[in-house]
Amino acid sequence: MNFLSIAGLTPTQSLTLVTTVLAAVSLWLLLPRGGGRFARSIGVVLGLVSLGLFVSRLSGLTSLGFGAEGFGAKLVFWVLAAITVISAVGAVTMRSPVYCAIWFAMTLLGTAGLFLFQGAQFLGVATIVVYAGAILVTFLFVLMLAQSEGHAYYDRVSWEGLTSAAVGAVMIGVLTMIISDALAPPTAIAAKDDPAASIASAQAPLVDPTTEKARAAEILSPQHMDHLGAQLFSKHLIAVEVAGTLLLVALVGAVAIAIQGKQMPKTAGGARHG
Amino acid sequence: MGELELLHGYLIIGALLFGIGLVGFLARRNMIVMFLAAEMMLQGVSISLVAWGRFHNDWGGQMLVIFILTVAACEAAIALALVLMLFHSSGRLDVAVWQHLRESNQLPFVDQELPEAEVEEPVWPELTPAGVEPEHSPDELVHRGHV
Repeated sequence: MNFLSIAGLTPTQSLTLVTTVLAAVSLWLLLPRGGGRFARSIGVVLGLVSLGLFVSRLSGLTSLGFGAEGFGAKLVFWVLAAITVISAVGAVTMRSPVYCAIWFAMTLLGTAGLFLFQGAQFLGVATIVVYAGAILVTFLFVLMLAQSEGHAYYDRVSWEGLTSAAVGAVMIGVLTMIISDALAPPTAIAAKDDPAASIASAQAPLVDPTTEKARAAEILSPQHMDHLGAQLFSKHLIAVEVAGTLLLVALVGAVAIAIQGKQMPKTAGGARHG
Repeated sequence: MGELELLHGYLIIGALLFGIGLVGFLARRNMIVMFLAAEMMLQGVSISLVAWGRFHNDWGGQMLVIFILTVAACEAAIALALVLMLFHSSGRLDVAVWQHLRESNQLPFVDQELPEAEVEEPVWPELTPAGVEPEHSPDELVHRGHV
């Protein structure tokens, strides 16, 4: 990457640039086009390479205060992350919409695992029940009603594959760069900013040791549902009521849309009498 | 894992899911797949919210994700009803069918060349022969019905 650092970029930035370009090219190759199996396999390889670059960037920052004691947790996290991201790519790039839905279910399972790993047990289960159990099954039901056999032509082409892949990759690159800069240790920030800001950031460390104990009592407490329910039905009670109203409105709206679509072409009078 | 590293990893995964969903929403033409991609973007945001909630030791992140789930369920119900309506009136799940809704100064999108359907030969399982096939005598074939 010497030629990039000549162009005035730091090694981290040039690595981000290379990763972004690789991700864009691999997504473009993977998206449905006229391309054959060969282009897709090249896309898979490039995508794996760019994922590996992502991971190397991440562990470059995360291996600072790390011994062998956190190895198990780290392994679980990386496995869940890999499942989530790889199946997300699969969900977006598969030709057949049924396969898309199945890959999306894998993404949901990975997300639920990530939620559980964060101590959000209720959300982990709710994601599986609501998304994978209800929404995804509805998707598959609509697919079954709508697409009886074979792959339609619009599953084999995509709008402006290169442009959209580039947009997505730039989005990912910018987001990761912002996140990594914002979460970098204060010493790394101090190198860029003026001395006063570095002192201020050193005085206010991101991880406060007192919050660790509070976290064990609050978010990570064994009585997860107690705390969650108490918060939900006290502080957010109005929001719960509004959400209930929204569900009712959506139900009535969906039924109204479906009925109107069925009966309008036949007789206008029949609907009124019925 | 340290809290900061965990937050970093979760935010990166949320950004990746969001970006991949964005690509899917922009590039795919099947309405249902576009919808799946939009749901994937919601998942990315949810992961970020949960991670921030844990980092700040606050229930707000998880609360917001619960309401995101609710809104996603409503959205799925209405959108799938609409998609079914559109499918009944056009016979296709293609978004390009509805491109006459575009702005009047935009050029219409025309499919240049459509790729051929990939015809794959179905792969049937081949059973290994269990032994040598015996020779059939014509008498046996005739009399088999009586056995």
